[in-house]
Amino acid sequence: MTAESGPVAARRPLLTLRNVLFALAFAALVAFPLLWPGDQYRQTVLILIFVLGVMATGWNVIAGFTGYVSLGQSAFLGLGAYTVGLLAHRVHVSPFLLAPLGGVVAAAMAVLLGATIMRNRGHAYVIITIAFLFLMQAIGLNAPGFTGGSNGVTLPLPPWPLAVGNMPFYYSLLALMVLSTLMTWWIRRTKFGMGLVAIREDEDKAASIGVRASVYKVLATVASGVLIGVAGGIYAYFLTFIDPRGMFDILVSVQIVLATLLGGLGTIWGPVLGAFLVVPMNEITNGVVAAQGVHLFVFGLVLMAVVMFLPQGLIPTVRGWLDKRREGHGAVAFERRQSAPRAVELTVAPGAEATRRWARGREAGAPLLKVDGLVKRFGGITAVDGCSFSVQQGSLTGLIGPNGSGKTTVFNLISGMMRADRGEISFDGERIDKLQPWDRAYLGLGRTFQSTRLFPRLTVMENVVAPLKRFDWRLLPADAVSGREARRALELLDFVGLADFGPQPAWQLSFGQKKLVELAQLLMLEPRLILLDEPAGGINPGLIERIADTIRALNKQGLTFVIVEHNMPMVLELCDAMLVMAGGRVIAEGTPDAIQSNPLVLDAYLGEDWSTETEMEGARS
Amino acid sequence: MGAALEMLGVVSGYGGARVLQGVDLAVQSGAITCVVGPNGAGKSTLLKTVSGVCRAVEGSIRLGGEVTLSKLSPSEILARGVVQVPQQNALFPSLTVRENVLMGAYIIRKRPALVRQRLREVEDLIPIVRDRAGDRAGNLSGGQRRAVEFARSLMLDPSLVLLDEPSLGLDRKSLKQVWGLIADMRDRGRTILLVEQNVRLGLGGADYGVVLEGGRVRLQGLAREVLEHPEIADLYLGGTVRDA
Amino acid sequence: MTLLVQTILLGLLIGGVYALFASGLTLVFGVMGIVNVAHPAFLVLAGLFTYELWSRLGIDPLLLTLITTPVMFALGWLVYKGLVARVRSSSASMSVVLTFGLAIALEGAMGMTWKNVFRSVTPVYFNQSFHVGALVLPKAQVFGCAASAVVLLLLYLLLKRTWIGRAIRSASENPEGAHLVGIDIGTVSAFTFAIGIATAGVGGSIMSILYPIFPASQYVWISRTLGIIVLGGMGSLPGAVLGALILGVAETLTATYISTQWSVVVFYLVILVVLLVKPEGLMGARMRRDVVA
Repeated sequence: MTAESGPVAARRPLLTLRNVLFALAFAALVAFPLLWPGDQYRQTVLILIFVLGVMATGWNVIAGFTGYVSLGQSAFLGLGAYTVGLLAHRVHVSPFLLAPLGGVVAAAMAVLLGATIMRNRGHAYVIITIAFLFLMQAIGLNAPGFTGGSNGVTLPLPPWPLAVGNMPFYYSLLALMVLSTLMTWWIRRTKFGMGLVAIREDEDKAASIGVRASVYKVLATVASGVLIGVAGGIYAYFLTFIDPRGMFDILVSVQIVLATLLGGLGTIWGPVLGAFLVVPMNEITNGVVAAQGVHLFVFGLVLMAVVMFLPQGLIPTVRGWLDKRREGHGAVAFERRQSAPRAVELTVAPGAEATRRWARGREAGAPLLKVDGLVKRFGGITAVDGCSFSVQQGSLTGLIGPNGSGKTTVFNLISGMMRADRGEISFDGERIDKLQPWDRAYLGLGRTFQSTRLFPRLTVMENVVAPLKRFDWRLLPADAVSGREARRALELLDFVGLADFGPQPAWQLSFGQKKLVELAQLLMLEPRLILLDEPAGGINPGLIERIADTIRALNKQGLTFVIVEHNMPMVLELCDAMLVMAGGRVIAEGTPDAIQSNPLVLDAYLGEDWSTETEMEGARS
Repeated sequence: MGAALEMLGVVSGYGGARVLQGVDLAVQSGAITCVVGPNGAGKSTLLKTVSGVCRAVEGSIRLGGEVTLSKLSPSEILARGVVQVPQQNALFPSLTVRENVLMGAYIIRKRPALVRQRLREVEDLIPIVRDRAGDRAGNLSGGQRRAVEFARSLMLDPSLVLLDEPSLGLDRKSLKQVWGLIADMRDRGRTILLVEQNVRLGLGGADYGVVLEGGRVRLQGLAREVLEHPEIADLYLGGTVRDA
Repeated sequence: MTLLVQTILLGLLIGGVYALFASGLTLVFGVMGIVNVAHPAFLVLAGLFTYELWSRLGIDPLLLTLITTPVMFALGWLVYKGLVARVRSSSASMSVVLTFGLAIALEGAMGMTWKNVFRSVTPVYFNQSFHVGALVLPKAQVFGCAASAVVLLLLYLLLKRTWIGRAIRSASENPEGAHLVGIDIGTVSAFTFAIGIATAGVGGSIMSILYPIFPASQYVWISRTLGIIVLGGMGSLPGAVLGALILGVAETLTATYISTQWSVVVFYLVILVVLLVKPEGLMGARMRRDVVA
């Protein structure tokens, strides 16, 4: 795996070799029709490349950034084409002016799709997109009154003189392709783009740190389709004739996939590069070797080869290869030094909204978190069976209990990863059990995972700036790693002693380091309560000490903790309140001392000997 | 028929973590040895290392004084007569009870006469295999499923049976039955190595006990003695437990 | 009224054949979690292969299944070992993309070999029908459905009564449990895939007498088989049979009372509605890989 060129890496000087090459290539493309106005064939090929380029860069947003691989993307082209095609005769306006309407229609369909089909993932999602595309084609074919049926739609011929030729199409589509690429470049730099990538890496984790996945996915679908709709309108005008088979063709979708995969899924320039490879490949297999079926055969083979052997695509593979060569000198100093944690000023004090809630007549001494009668069943077992407890503001509460007592399930219910069958959860006096995970994060509830979930292909820095402490439309277009956020992230990384690790891809970190980064992530949310799931699991005693110190320091500043832990000495020493769970409910609560001397607790751990009649001699010392 | 198991200096884990950190363990043949210990101690990993699912990076595991299991693949270990019944989800819910039990004999399927004979033996030992032969395994209760799992594991006439938390999720009545079956297997001479969450139950029913903590063996000996050892409460609750 | 009965009966006959077409697809998904979008391409390939043998040898196409089936089995085994085994670890979407690539490559290969011409196999009973009272049942449909039923029965017996069949069902339900009893998931997967393609072999032969065959027809079959397994529950063989019968009737009713063009839309709608509302389908085989926390 190689790290992506995220916003942090993008702070390169403008005058690099790469950018110069791009500028030259762009100049060449602009100059081409002016220098060779008669070469209609090559202009047409380039036009096809531009169209595919627009489609591939758009698809990259939903598939490369967000991880939702759709095979229905060509539907947007068709929608744009048909919008313009059907209006062109009725409304006597140049199709160029109508093309943006194609974008609007595509965007509208994208909203519909985003809102409905994005609840499915994996197989279901891909299959749905296939069915959707076929449905569009079928409607196109079978509603001749509306769409002209299989006879298609003809558009008016361009009014300009023959000498101008294809140039308006050429330049407008070139501009669209450049615009589309700039759009993806821009998206990737923003908070929005960061959220999309987080969704791709780990959607549930992203939700738990405030990424409002439902809205993001709709926006991503719109971004992926709107420019394709515009391109569709122009393309229709260029073709002068459109029909459902050509405009809603699954093979076009597959070409989009191949172009993007070849170039590099998730990169900025990959889709365009791929378009420059795929279209000529089509032309060659279609034209030069003029036997039927060769084109498809080659296409299919290349697609299979790319998926099997080059899944990263050309650009990331080359980049990885270059990185490896660079690794010779000194960059093996990935021996970054982990430093001792430094004190940090936390804004644990409630923000404006939370203060208002406090002012709404909350009694003093009311618990910060209250769980009442929670029940959760799955797979035939009742994991949580009437669990009730309260956590006081400012406490360090330990939650212990034998294996299978339901502790992690309770965490899942509180953080929103699961819905309870019955029961209530209140946070700061408000019922939260019906809220989405991100809404709970906005209220100030954070949670770590036993297996430490980070976004593996993002850098440590990107991981720490990914959380959103509230949803604000104005935040979305902002630079992901900018000003105040970045400074804050650096502060927090410093706090956990990993200030040097910013640019390192998260997957390279050790287990213990990942735990620290996860904690830093949560602190970005300015949380009031953190649920820690086995913070001491799987790490060496030195680090356990450090984490305990960190927790104490944060608690002193007002952060409340609930800690699930199996390491008894650590948790009994650290916490000031204890909850013991067994069989899905709380069986004891109190101070650590009280818990240790509570016979019920020892019973819970050692278990009841049900199969013998003899009494257990109370051999407890 | 049962074989002794000897683990020396075994280090293993998965996903890069070292869970077992030098385990020295002697399991007596023809007896029930119960391993207990707090969470994260490595109990499940211990069983998985014996059955080959986890590879031992250091140390050796020998069966019956001869075969070095730590060098073999899981299927080779299975062929040597070491079967494992995992914590949960071992059965195939939509297959019938009979089919589930038959699958235990998968690696000897080319010897139908032997398979038939073993099936008869198992049916005699564990009546549910005959009584509910045609029922879907998914429709059975927890205790009944455990019995079917045991039946399945017996199809290979194993010399060493590894049980991962056999009492998990069972009610009182099923516990009695299940432990009865375990004792019966021992009485017929098999070696049983089991891991138990429920310390009193596990050590109460076993012959020998082992306490695992932090990836190492802390206590070893006769089950009764281990259970009454004063350090046990310490290990579980990280401190002394005063009398109520 | 007779028209309604006639339509439904015809729909059931067609559904019976559809069940065979979809069986291989759902079986493979059940064991390997892979949606082999190229399965219909193999159906078409077998159909063209049957056509080739029929036009040269004159043997009845249903008898030709004795040749096509083992050949397709071998082809399936090779394809698994060469291709599918390599991408098992990649994501669900990428495996769909891979099998799509395979489907397109197959379509191309078929186009190169047989050209894009509609071909039909026309055995002696091609235009004949059974007359039962007022009902007219085309012989080809009846024979095709009977042949499908036989093959499905054989498949059922294979799964229920043989060791390999039990191993397939075990691996499909619980790969860890299967591993514990010594089942080699790799071999079982290869075998399952090969069986799946073998059913496509029989299916293709049957397809050749019922439908015109040409390489690009795979797309309509992709829609149909996907619709069937989604409705029935992906991974469930009884579900595929049930889904096929329901959709066969639904399609025929739509074709008779609305129009033939709209009849294939039934499948698209079924896919969309089922996956959005009840993704496990009728027989509830859960989509293991899509489990969302």
